[in-house]
Amino acid sequence: MLRFVVRRLLLLIPVLIGLSLLIFVWIRALPGTPVDALLGERATPKAVAEFRQHYGMDRPIFVQYWDYLKTTASGELGTSVASHRPVTTEIRERFPATIELTMAAMMFAICLGLPLGMIAAKRYGTATDHASLFVSLIGISIPIFFLAIILKYLFAVRLGWLPSVGRQDVLIDARHPTNFYVLDGIVTDNWAAAWDATKHLILPAIALGSIPLAIIARVTRASVLDVQNEDYVRTARAKGLSPRVVDRRHVLRNALLPVTTIIGLQFGILLGGAVLTETVFALPGMGSWVKEAIFNHDYPALQGGILFIAVIFVLVNLLVDITYGLINPRIRVS
Amino acid sequence: MTVAEVEAVTSGIEGPPAGLWRDAWRRVRHNPGAIVGFSVVALFIVVAVFAPLIAPYPPNDQDLSLLAKGCCPGPSWSHLMGVDDLGRDEFSRVVYGTRYSLVIGVVAVTVGLSIGMLLGAVAGFFGGATDNIVMRGMDIMLAIPGLLLAIGIAAMLGPGIWQVMLAVGIASVPIFARLLRGTVLGQRESDYVLAARSTGVRRRSILSSHILPNSMSPVIVAGTLAMATAIIDVAGLGFLGLGPQDPATPEWGTMLTNADRYLGTAAFLALFPGLAIVIVVLGFNLIGDGLREALDPKLRGRV
Repeated sequence: MLRFVVRRLLLLIPVLIGLSLLIFVWIRALPGTPVDALLGERATPKAVAEFRQHYGMDRPIFVQYWDYLKTTASGELGTSVASHRPVTTEIRERFPATIELTMAAMMFAICLGLPLGMIAAKRYGTATDHASLFVSLIGISIPIFFLAIILKYLFAVRLGWLPSVGRQDVLIDARHPTNFYVLDGIVTDNWAAAWDATKHLILPAIALGSIPLAIIARVTRASVLDVQNEDYVRTARAKGLSPRVVDRRHVLRNALLPVTTIIGLQFGILLGGAVLTETVFALPGMGSWVKEAIFNHDYPALQGGILFIAVIFVLVNLLVDITYGLINPRIRVS
Repeated sequence: MTVAEVEAVTSGIEGPPAGLWRDAWRRVRHNPGAIVGFSVVALFIVVAVFAPLIAPYPPNDQDLSLLAKGCCPGPSWSHLMGVDDLGRDEFSRVVYGTRYSLVIGVVAVTVGLSIGMLLGAVAGFFGGATDNIVMRGMDIMLAIPGLLLAIGIAAMLGPGIWQVMLAVGIASVPIFARLLRGTVLGQRESDYVLAARSTGVRRRSILSSHILPNSMSPVIVAGTLAMATAIIDVAGLGFLGLGPQDPATPEWGTMLTNADRYLGTAAFLALFPGLAIVIVVLGFNLIGDGLREALDPKLRGRV
């Protein structure tokens, strides 16, 4: 198992180096230069030259890349052009918002998707089965931002049950030691704040969780159907185990293997979809930040933000692989 | 029915196996979901082709007098889907929007498919260092979540409908490359390739006329499903404001960008373009699912 983990970790190195190179080249290929963005169009040639020298842009491109690697490796991501604050500070404030959102979306998707898939497989071919297939088909066919707009219209604008924008009501007095607002409310014993933050999460989480919900339900259904016909399940039934025990110990445990991989893969969809969800619900997370950075030509923010999200995504995938190796011994040796 | 035929039916012997495609077509026709999917897409193609005949008004015709009583007049007999904030007929704009959505799907998938297939086929067929270099490159692209990668490429290319299609297409390259590499690797070791090689067929033509045609069915399925994703993703980029910069363009995602502002007064402006996206995407997903079932060798021979 240790060898498996070490090999996976070593494989990460070329990916991370390639990623840094890709982002470095990409930033330089973006239309408009940081010089234009920071100094404006009417800058004198002398000012431009000084600026280029100050930021090392007059040096050979390899040297610039090497410097970029060095500073990035030391955890320095530059200063946002738009907010004039360090990119790392921005990430520290915004990343918890996105994680909170993706976690809530994932919880929604798993809590609803798993039972939906299992019930559909148990009632294979019945109206229940067809209904669950239809629901998951709608789930993958509806754009996240459209679902978000509909939810916002119905439950925030029309019915007024839930808030439509932001992470917390501005009138609520709350401290934020971790920047995970729900957690903050709990640790500071401010239950009103925690509840308010939770209410702000419900609609975005449903909108963002719709695709994983559909995929989890589909994969669970297919996987349970597969496992149900295995010889060992028949043996278990034949030797007289109660159907409940067979379902839980033999069918479900094996059927969940492919489902765990799928759940891990959904994380990428969630991080991408967060851009849209955060935009509709005006949540100050990583997604809406990246979107604003593009329109503001805020290259340090873009560079740092996208690199950070990619590294997190790569690490999550690694974690998924390792978990999969742990629960499925067949993978480890190959 | 002759005696031999009756015998064959009762004893479960099948006639000569129909070809893969004919067999698949037979099963697609018996799949109600796929039929619905094909009908929906066919309907959208008809609407797209005959848009000028179906739409009661030109998509950019402004009639500001309609806004005299405030924004925005809801659905009525003369304006089936209401009027938008610039006095344009929403129904006509949704109808013209079908053109964009279909072109978007086709262009984005063609871009992703052709580049991805080329890279995947080359990597799978030549193996070794080529394989390693190409696939590590794909890994790097896959390290960035799909939609974010598309947003990044779109930002680099600048805003516009073609740029967005290209961005969504390029972002889907690694998925197709991986898929094709996998199938080509599987086919490379098969007996018919060995046979072709031993009779002296050149490597390039083994790849193009033996391996590729036999690797097609998963690609067709993935391509159809990618059409659905491409339409959603392009609409998403349009919604974020990376799409066509000319607000006159009746692209559905772009039409939803401003919907937020009118959510309290004219929610129907968001509803109709959004529903159009859902229906056409649903159509492609149904076709993709139907094709997957039809082309799956495990299910062959069954209806």
